[in-house]
Amino acid sequence: MIWRAFTSEWVKMRRRRLWYGSYGAITGVVLLTTIVTIAGALRHPASRGALTLAQMAHASGLSQGLTQSGVLLGAVAFSIAAFQFGGEFSHGTLRNLLVRQPRRSFLMAGKTLAVLTFLVGALLVATVVGICAAFVMAHLRGIPTSAWTSGAGMSDLGSLLGDLVISTCGFAVIGMIAGVLLRSSVIAIAAGLAVLLPFETILTDAVPGTGRWLPAQLLESIAQGGSTTAPFEAAVITVSAYLAGAVAIAALVFERRDVTA
Amino acid sequence: MSAAVLATETVARHFGQGPESHAVLTRGLTKRFGKRLAVDGLDLRIPAGSITGFVGPNGAGKTTTIRMLLGLIRPSAGSGTVLGHPLGHARAYLPRVGALIEGPTFYPALSGRENLTVLARLGGLEKKRVDAVLERVGLSGRGLDPFRTYSLGMRQRLGIAAALLPSPELLVLDEPTNGLDPHGIAEIRAMLRSFADDGMTVFVSSHLLAEIQQICEHLVVIESGRLLFQGGVDELLAARAPELIVRTENPGDARYLLALVKGTGRRARILGHYESTTLEVVADGSWAADLNRLAMANGITLVHLAERRSTLEEAFFEITHSDTNGKSPKGCPTAEPDHAETTVSLLEAKVPGP
Repeated sequence: MIWRAFTSEWVKMRRRRLWYGSYGAITGVVLLTTIVTIAGALRHPASRGALTLAQMAHASGLSQGLTQSGVLLGAVAFSIAAFQFGGEFSHGTLRNLLVRQPRRSFLMAGKTLAVLTFLVGALLVATVVGICAAFVMAHLRGIPTSAWTSGAGMSDLGSLLGDLVISTCGFAVIGMIAGVLLRSSVIAIAAGLAVLLPFETILTDAVPGTGRWLPAQLLESIAQGGSTTAPFEAAVITVSAYLAGAVAIAALVFERRDVTA
Repeated sequence: MSAAVLATETVARHFGQGPESHAVLTRGLTKRFGKRLAVDGLDLRIPAGSITGFVGPNGAGKTTTIRMLLGLIRPSAGSGTVLGHPLGHARAYLPRVGALIEGPTFYPALSGRENLTVLARLGGLEKKRVDAVLERVGLSGRGLDPFRTYSLGMRQRLGIAAALLPSPELLVLDEPTNGLDPHGIAEIRAMLRSFADDGMTVFVSSHLLAEIQQICEHLVVIESGRLLFQGGVDELLAARAPELIVRTENPGDARYLLALVKGTGRRARILGHYESTTLEVVADGSWAADLNRLAMANGITLVHLAERRSTLEEAFFEITHSDTNGKSPKGCPTAEPDHAETTVSLLEAKVPGP
């Protein structure tokens, strides 16, 4: 049943415009952060936090661009998921789906899996493009890349990619929940992005320590492999608890709510 | 005994028949949205294998009823069965039900074929069904075009194709002719007839009463969420008094003939303005010859004498207490419960039980 919903959703997601838009946006984000990170690397240490060319030559240099793309990738993933779920309500197509698949939780699970696989695919494509761009930029800036292709470099890249997948999927699941609860893609995307990005950032700056409790901040921390405010394991546990609760609520609401659209 | 079986038997016992003779049976089906009562204690009986029309003014509760039958909306009260399964177990009967609800809604960027494939995969249906239903509704040639490029008629046909995907036993169509031109309406009418010929039960809601009269054998009329009539279309029309329409050659003769007819104890009236030559006499066709003789015996020449069959539209306005402009007459509000009850008892008394 979930498989049916999964393959059905993939028929929708195969359309060319969605591919160009989504894969283009995600690849664009990775490309942009990679280019900006390497282009902005300094010859000598200056301000705190700014990377130097020497640091970029380390094994972790290849993944530095990807590390910076976590929140932007999350915003794109959130929007795509909210669009896929909220759109079913606002377009009125949900009623067709529910007549053919009355087990609503199965429908929701299948759709979610389809959206997540779509996003992971986009992330992999973006990573490959980002790596190519990083080598080009390294050549332009004269950064040695031998360490990037070493075992440590590859391990670092793989680990970061895993973190990004978790973070991106987390944002997508929040998008799915927003779409289901708000029943409109436009409202879900607008409200969700406003809360996850500016609101959380302002709150984190205004009230020290809140970063370890806010979902977008935690997901950003996961994308970076953990931070001082929210260590990786703690961030994963907290976000998992949030998502499990929110998914349960969304599933219950989706299962029981009248479909009047 | 399971609650599901018990619910089925309770409904069947209430109507005195097994659920197999009716595709849909409901008992006291009610839906309340906050303080608003959308559907009020509906007892539906839709005979299996029939084309049943579902009519009522805008906001009467037709779409809400259909959504409850399809498991999209939970009833606030009442019970029922669809294809022998309790309403609460939509997953048991929906694989045998096809539906078009409130107009065709599909993904605009996908082709008609892709839109149907989305639904076919979701329902675990064979891929060849997509081509079969596209062929059935005459969209094979445009199946690869994006849905957004379809005309309204094509969209409706795609909606019907989607409803046909599971080879349904029960086809529920909500306003399938909405917005169509006469040619499109005729196409849909022919299609519905062919579905009934294939043995499907067709439950179709429409505002086009002339269409309903042409294609439906059975009729359900609701207003303000309450059942006003259900039974055969012929039975509803027969419940109205038959009329003879008479036109005299001279204007003065019409008033004279009116007096003569009233003298026989029959009801009659002049149609139109004071000088009109047309009379409406409450009598069936068998009295036409007597009327003609009566006129001739009194030196009145008739230029027209014909029996007029009641239309469904007239019957509809009568039972919904509206005039032919769709407005409720003064002192007879359509939402007044006592009036509705009276209408039900008068009309249903003339309709044989199931």
